[in-house]
Amino acid sequence: MQTACQAAQHSRGRRLYNRLRSLLKDPRHDCIHFANEFQQYSYCPREKGETQEKWQTRCIYHAAVWYHDHLAGLRPVVMITEDQEAVAEFGSSASGIYVISTQEYLQSFWPDLLAAHELYSSICQALQERESESTEREYAEHFPAEVLEAGIKSGRFIQGTLNVNKHRAQHEAFVRFEGSTTKNSELNSDVLVCGGKNRNRAVHGDLVAVELLPAKEWRGRNTALHEGLGEDKAGEEPQSKPMPTGKVVGIVQRNWRDYVVTFPPREEVQSQSRNSQRILVTPWDYRIPKIRISTQQAEALQDHRVIVRLDLWESTSLYPNGHTVRVLGKSGELETEVQTILVENCINVPPFSEAQLRQLPESSAEQPWRVEPEEVSSRLDLRDTHLVFSIDPLGCEDVDDTLSVRLLPGGTRLELGVHIADVTHFVQEGSLTDLEARSRATTYYLADRRYDMLPGVLSADLCSLLGGVDRYAMSVMWQLDAQSLAVCKVWYGRTLIRSSYQLHYELAQSLLNGEQAEVPELDRLDDEAERCRRRAELLQALRLLTRVARHLRAQRDQGGALELEGVEVRAQLDSSKNITALVPRQPLEVHETVAECMIYANHWVARKIQENFPHQALLRHHPPPRQEFFNQLIDSARTRSFAINTRSNKALADSLDQAVDQRDPVVNRLLRMMATQAMSNALYFSTGACSEEQYYHYGLALDRYTHFTSPIRRYADIIVHRLLMAAINAERGLAPSKVLASNKDLEELAHQVNNRNRASQHAQKQSTELFQCLYFKDKDPLTDERCVADAVIYAIRANGMLVFIPRYGLRGPVYVKNRENQVVSVEGDGSCEWKAGALERQVDRISTTTSTGTHNFSIFDHITVRISVQPSRCHPLNLCLEVISSRPHQAPVAEAQPKGRGRSELVQEVVRLAEEASQQAEERKGRVPKLSKEQREFRQSKQPNLYSILQEIAEMALLDLHACEAPSAEVQTCSTSA
Amino acid sequence: MAGIELLSDQGYRLDGRKATELRKVQARMGVFGQADGSAYLEQGNTKVLAVVYGPHEVRGARSKILYDRAVINCQYSMATFSTAERKRRPHGDRKSSEMSLHLKQTFEAAVLTQLYPRSQIDIYVKILQADGGNYSACVNAATLAVIDAGIPMRDYVCACTAGFVDDTPLADLCHAEESGGGTSLAVALLPRGGQIALLQMDARLHQDHLDTLMEAAMTACKGVSKVLDEVVRQHLQEMSILTGE
Repeated sequence: MQTACQAAQHSRGRRLYNRLRSLLKDPRHDCIHFANEFQQYSYCPREKGETQEKWQTRCIYHAAVWYHDHLAGLRPVVMITEDQEAVAEFGSSASGIYVISTQEYLQSFWPDLLAAHELYSSICQALQERESESTEREYAEHFPAEVLEAGIKSGRFIQGTLNVNKHRAQHEAFVRFEGSTTKNSELNSDVLVCGGKNRNRAVHGDLVAVELLPAKEWRGRNTALHEGLGEDKAGEEPQSKPMPTGKVVGIVQRNWRDYVVTFPPREEVQSQSRNSQRILVTPWDYRIPKIRISTQQAEALQDHRVIVRLDLWESTSLYPNGHTVRVLGKSGELETEVQTILVENCINVPPFSEAQLRQLPESSAEQPWRVEPEEVSSRLDLRDTHLVFSIDPLGCEDVDDTLSVRLLPGGTRLELGVHIADVTHFVQEGSLTDLEARSRATTYYLADRRYDMLPGVLSADLCSLLGGVDRYAMSVMWQLDAQSLAVCKVWYGRTLIRSSYQLHYELAQSLLNGEQAEVPELDRLDDEAERCRRRAELLQALRLLTRVARHLRAQRDQGGALELEGVEVRAQLDSSKNITALVPRQPLEVHETVAECMIYANHWVARKIQENFPHQALLRHHPPPRQEFFNQLIDSARTRSFAINTRSNKALADSLDQAVDQRDPVVNRLLRMMATQAMSNALYFSTGACSEEQYYHYGLALDRYTHFTSPIRRYADIIVHRLLMAAINAERGLAPSKVLASNKDLEELAHQVNNRNRASQHAQKQSTELFQCLYFKDKDPLTDERCVADAVIYAIRANGMLVFIPRYGLRGPVYVKNRENQVVSVEGDGSCEWKAGALERQVDRISTTTSTGTHNFSIFDHITVRISVQPSRCHPLNLCLEVISSRPHQAPVAEAQPKGRGRSELVQEVVRLAEEASQQAEERKGRVPKLSKEQREFRQSKQPNLYSILQEIAEMALLDLHACEAPSAEVQTCSTSA
Repeated sequence: MAGIELLSDQGYRLDGRKATELRKVQARMGVFGQADGSAYLEQGNTKVLAVVYGPHEVRGARSKILYDRAVINCQYSMATFSTAERKRRPHGDRKSSEMSLHLKQTFEAAVLTQLYPRSQIDIYVKILQADGGNYSACVNAATLAVIDAGIPMRDYVCACTAGFVDDTPLADLCHAEESGGGTSLAVALLPRGGQIALLQMDARLHQDHLDTLMEAAMTACKGVSKVLDEVVRQHLQEMSILTGE
């Protein structure tokens, strides 16, 4: 209703109005905006002396009456208002039109929608709360918006996003500038905001304005390791040199999202809530302050995780006010924890709606989907002419990409083809599926499940290039010179293919190695001669492919100054080695072969769309890292007397190659890990938004790059497919069917996709951590052998060091000084205990001095640590590492169990335990259907049976790269095949 | 800029018009007996009075006389009560002199001045209420007044403004839309031949958009010309009944 919209804009400001507008615009919500003031029959002029509110209510009522008449009384019309007078005035005047309050509406029309009732009551309480606020000031008032704007323009204030230090959430926060527009050049670092008073009610993520304090009040950042929770005594701890320090004077833009909080157990509730029903709840995220909530349900909700929305934070209150939105479940349960991770990363993956599924073609066992005849004529038919095959991890369902290679008649030319699932044929731009995919932007892979971007009928069936069935594809085909392998011709277009073989990596590699591997497709043939012929044919194709890929790789390696060794492929290799320690999987050459072909296809598509649409193509770039980030790497390497040259990506790759310690292979791995950490993330962008030099992909050493090869999993690829199709049509002289997205739209989209990718990486990392913690939770750290592991030191901090545990791929802090100021003392046999003593820190080592002597911990030393889980009720669980010996750990049993089964075993075991627990709970409470219903509701993937878990692990093996902290440069390339 | 939303998602403008819709134009001719020609015109909330004297001998300095055609003298003024803020508007301030000049140019292009050598035609327009599109309302009113005075013209001169918001051209801007800071293009058109008598644009506009904007403005002008034609015919009919012919 127009009147309502304008009232919202008028009284609540533009931001709310825009949100309302975008809600209305989204076709998924089935909402319609009716411009009642422009409609002749629903318009009513304002009477003399009538208040604005009254007039608006009357307008809306008139419109409701009109609508009711318009529908000829077929449907009742409900008008919801909180204005009791209006209810009294209009309530009974006409039949079929109900004027009622929200509460009545919920009670009479949706009596069984419990969640809505709860939400309503919590909002009500939050509103009442507001009226009874005390008046003491806790914080300084914010400046009004005009003052802030003027201050930012004149340079008195600095505008930036507030980032709270996760480990010292109470005290340290940093403000990062927006852009590089600051005129005062001495301020090129972040601004430190110390303590709650200076932060002045800003919450992590808010866009704030800060004022710098005088230079004598500047402080340094804290360099000691810290245990996250608790009060600390600031000032005593070692600090780095002072940096610009400021205080928040105003908030330009709140960036509040939904937070997950945990209700305190009963004892605390009682002590807190003497007055009314207010409760302080602790958010899951360390960086968010405690939130005050008023609710009647505190008893019922204790120890539950609940989604909370912040309402406001007055200067008179120490904590922000909020209201509850939805209950997730009891804390500590697997399902709750996974949901928590999703909410905290703003990932919203409801099951696909009926309306979305209805738009899709159907395919079932009885009625398989068939190729449409008109499509056959418009596409290039490769079914009979080309030998097409796919290589994927074992058990993969969504096959994005297939390959083909053949010698053209005449023998002088090769034809290499990459055929990608034609998702855009099924997902029309603007359709409901498209909108949903756009908002998801990517498939989310968690440790034990995944949330698909596209509905299952597409991702696992119609778009999946399975073996032996006809499928639509988008193809790139190169004609290469058979001798020099130089590109002679490139063809892009839509094709129709039938994949002959669905291979997996191990099988393909063993075929290449000349072993007698069983190919299921061939075994089905009866004719022996035919089988041999086909086998030879396949083998020849694989060999040819390997040859081409080796050449492409070499080309990138040596093709002059600009073409350099792909650091990111290195990083991948590193990471996959990293995983091999956990999941026994050899890095096979065939992995690289497939990845190389995909990179090649991506590169050529990027060239094509960039040339055709110089201002509105979606590409992916990887900006060169900032040199100062490499300092840690260089320093660490120097301790082993390796020189790392970070001037260019080629130099870096070469020097990393040389930095190999013969005795200790972990050193090189750690160095590579640090290099990966120093990298910035690769990002999507629109070509109109950057200058041409910025297109460069640092990791891959390519001048242009995009994502084209996994449209089932990534929305960016769908966009690229559409762009490519538009380019092909334009060349054929066809008019574009739709206007292309402008540079601005595309840039917005790229931003959104980047954000979602980051969220998905965080979620994945957090879920992996969750599983690690759950794995160690049930072990007794003192007795269980699996909790003791070998660790390598890779960085030194003021009161401890950071270590890497190769066996589990874990990283974490180890303290050599505890709360009582005792330090680790090393006995003669290498065992450690806490004793009073002193601590000294150098660049490359930390030394403890006690009565028994001095011991140095240097970088790259091997030590033994014990892993235990730090119990935490409100926050994510943490692993706690404790040094127990300064000698490398000899793992006697590690050999007995297949070493490195670690992670997969871990996931399995945790899932099994969770299932057992839930089963027990079911049995106990006898509410089997309810629980399973919940499970169905919260998860799209099936119940975790052993098969699906194995499958997921197979996928994870590739995707786990995300788990390394700074997501490696071009992780997705590697997982193109996943 | 926290401006108001000029074009809603449903395609409505602030006053409920669609993008190409004109405001309601109402006009009357022959409102004053003393003048040779006069007209009153309302374009939405913009209200204009136009009066024409002449052709008559050139008054004042004889040096102004043109020997091959008539001199057109325009004077534009705004009533003190015409805007939201009451303000005395002396004659000859920059804004009104500019407007006078524009009107003069417009009518020199439209009136057949060569029929009246060594004479002068005075056109006086006064804005009674200003709500955007002052220039175009003045031109439209003055056209009617000139017709009422019986001075031959090549064609009606019809004027209209057009603006550009969110890639959509808006016809006939009102005050709120004009003051929003966007582009405003004023066109005076001789609709039958499609000749442009005057075209004026102040703000910046991308070259690519100019054609669509001009197109919108010219379509709007043609719409205005139909209304004016209607008014003239109506007036003549009434006159002929009165004079009994």
